[in-house]
Amino acid sequence: MTITRRDLIQFVGGSALGTLFTPAPWRLITDTALWSENWPGIPRPARGEIRAKFTNCSLCNAGCAVRARCVGDRPVSLAGVGGGLCPFGLTAHHLPFHPARPKQSDGKDAIAAVTAAIAGRRPSEHVVVLDSRPGRTASWTYRRAMAALPGGLYVSPPEPPVAIDLRSARTVLSLSAPLLDGWGTPAKVFAARDGFRLIQAEAVESRTAALADVWLPIRPGTEEALAMSIAGELSAAEAARITGLAEHLVASLPQELQKNGPALVIDAGMSPGVVELNRRLGAWGRTVFPRPEAPVPESWRKAAPPTELAAVSDGSVRVLWIDESAPGQYFPWEAIERKLAANALVAVFTSWMGGYARRAPFVLPTAVYPERLDDVPMAIDSAAATFRIAAPLVSPPPGVINPEEFIAALAGVAASDALRQRAAAIHKRGRGTLLTYADGKSVPVRDVKSEDFWKALNAGGRWEDDVAQALEPAARRPFPAPSPQAAKIDDYPLTIITESRLAGLASPSLSQIYQESNVRLAANRVALHPADASSCGVVDGAHAVLESQRGKREVTVTVDASVRPGVVLVAGLAEIGAASAKVVRL
Amino acid sequence: MNAKRYGMSIDIDRCNGCGACMVACAVENNIPPAHAGIDERKGLTWIRVYKVDNGEDYPGRRSAFVPMLCQHCGEHTPCAGVCPQQAVDIDPRTGIVGQMPERCLGCRYCMAACPYHARYFNWFDPAWPAGMEQTLNPDVAPRMRGVVEKCNFCHGRWHAAKERAAAAGTDEIRPGDYVPACVEACPTGALRFGDLNDPASDVSQDAKRPESFRLLEKIGTDPKIYYRSRKDWVHEIANAPRPGAARKEADHA
Repeated sequence: MTITRRDLIQFVGGSALGTLFTPAPWRLITDTALWSENWPGIPRPARGEIRAKFTNCSLCNAGCAVRARCVGDRPVSLAGVGGGLCPFGLTAHHLPFHPARPKQSDGKDAIAAVTAAIAGRRPSEHVVVLDSRPGRTASWTYRRAMAALPGGLYVSPPEPPVAIDLRSARTVLSLSAPLLDGWGTPAKVFAARDGFRLIQAEAVESRTAALADVWLPIRPGTEEALAMSIAGELSAAEAARITGLAEHLVASLPQELQKNGPALVIDAGMSPGVVELNRRLGAWGRTVFPRPEAPVPESWRKAAPPTELAAVSDGSVRVLWIDESAPGQYFPWEAIERKLAANALVAVFTSWMGGYARRAPFVLPTAVYPERLDDVPMAIDSAAATFRIAAPLVSPPPGVINPEEFIAALAGVAASDALRQRAAAIHKRGRGTLLTYADGKSVPVRDVKSEDFWKALNAGGRWEDDVAQALEPAARRPFPAPSPQAAKIDDYPLTIITESRLAGLASPSLSQIYQESNVRLAANRVALHPADASSCGVVDGAHAVLESQRGKREVTVTVDASVRPGVVLVAGLAEIGAASAKVVRL
Repeated sequence: MNAKRYGMSIDIDRCNGCGACMVACAVENNIPPAHAGIDERKGLTWIRVYKVDNGEDYPGRRSAFVPMLCQHCGEHTPCAGVCPQQAVDIDPRTGIVGQMPERCLGCRYCMAACPYHARYFNWFDPAWPAGMEQTLNPDVAPRMRGVVEKCNFCHGRWHAAKERAAAAGTDEIRPGDYVPACVEACPTGALRFGDLNDPASDVSQDAKRPESFRLLEKIGTDPKIYYRSRKDWVHEIANAPRPGAARKEADHA
């Protein structure tokens, strides 16, 4: 038998055709799919023993209780205990790997330069610590260090003078406070939400306004006038003229708050006017309390008092340390720069390169939550004193600096054990209860040994005082004078309203809300009413420039009819901090 | 073991649009951070919160936030019927509509068929910043570029709950032992999850409320996500045949 060329072609063709009727090609497709799923470009999750660790989130003062699901020692997800977490808290375990963390430390150079600057300081010059997050044990260390250094000053943003109790309130009037959007402790706020009627007075339909029982769309910056009207310091007609609300609405508010009490009035920072208004409404001691603080060792009481930045003389700061290792309130750089001497030295403790690090010659990298052992300041909605430790879930990378120990060492103050000393002071007082999240048990502190108390706090425990503070008499006081309003500049016709956003590092996974869905306003976006967008010549999604007297930035425009005409809604604009702006099409 | 019919109830009047559900879902299911060029159309959001409004101008404007995820259709599941690869799987034990990325060819018929736009295509290889892959959930495999993915009610958690139940010597998962990440994360308590076949469960109770509704109920897909709101305009939007239709009809009237 001879094999011809035709036979060969028939054989190959027949084989190819026959193969199609076998499982082989389909198996090949499946194998290719499986291979491509596991090729080297696809990351493989690490495996190991699954365990749970507990801590307290220190990204903001809410200090939510956290359960971390860990593979070995590495957290792979975070969840709230007894309530949910905000998107920032849910992704905090990504922060140690954030690409914006500073890589190199200027520590040695900074020590030499700071020591020389302190030695060469003139008597009228100051050494200043600017603490962007007051109320921590670290803040006490700074204050002690500044008391020990000649010319030392401790500067911090003002803390709210009061705490509130939402559970006791039946009517809440919120003057542009983002009550339902991260203002207090989310778990507490939403647990109490069904118990009170919420009236939100705000210029834009914020998230809180959208969920409020009543939304009063006031003119921007007129919250104070509304508060004065309720307090009886301004007529309803005048307040209606200023706020743009109907007069009968303004006139009915005091009766509504009195009738459906206990009432509570809040604004973003619990300003003195709002505190006085609460006092006049009879809320003092019922829904509003003096701000409590966890006990500290007696020896710390000689610390330097907090000073407001405005009270520091211009050009008098020779050495400035800025601690922005924990997210907090920002001062515009211009306000800080005015205080610096000509040869001032500025060093920034930070975990990201986006804030003051851009301005300072010395950048000292710090650990970030959840690497850092720190405590959480009092939450605004905690009427009793609390002490919560953010226990580290992972080890910090080599080369990071502990800011309070760094400054304390320069001032000759012992600070390495400050948190433990404070825990001992709390335990010694013997008041309050210890709550441990792992087992959900609540134990009186007097029944716990000092060593066990410290261990429990480090394992994600929480101390809460159980004794109400003595209250000041609720006597009527003079209503504080209204704060001066920034003058409107004709060149900048749009009033800026800032949507609250946590400063500092944010997980790249937040692209879910800022980029892939735009459900929240990203830092590079602004929102305008359709009429304003039309007059600026921009459309939804257009690229434009936001310009104010403080500077310019490129932005993307969102057109949204829930924004008040004449207003531009922005997010994360702390460094501009201007009152008005204009939007120019690119 | 009794067959379950897992479903979710969403209280629109409680949702503040914080996005915690979206972020928790991304963390749980190893959804990578977006590439620089990704926008709303190419984003991978197994659950996405949409802002809807009553169509009025300021100050009459009223908004609400609607979390949108795979509705886990129980009848004539549109995505399952069109998949040429049988990559869509409906688990008879749970009623969960699953997606098998290793079978998926990336033809996107299912995306076209889904009336809820709750399916997403992987346009890029999954990538995390250096070191962040150490935080990936070991129970969920990252998907490759070129496949479709969607919510599966955190199926990895269901398996884990099954294992725990088996270790306890039972077949039954106790209520509360299996909760998707979005429900666990919701700080407002707007999202609830459970077995719709269990008349005592929260979701069953929620589903029976008069203010409760399902999206595009009239197309007969028997979705297992029940929304509820006391606002009439939210119901009008939910019943509209297409976005903006309720407003246009009102304008014509």
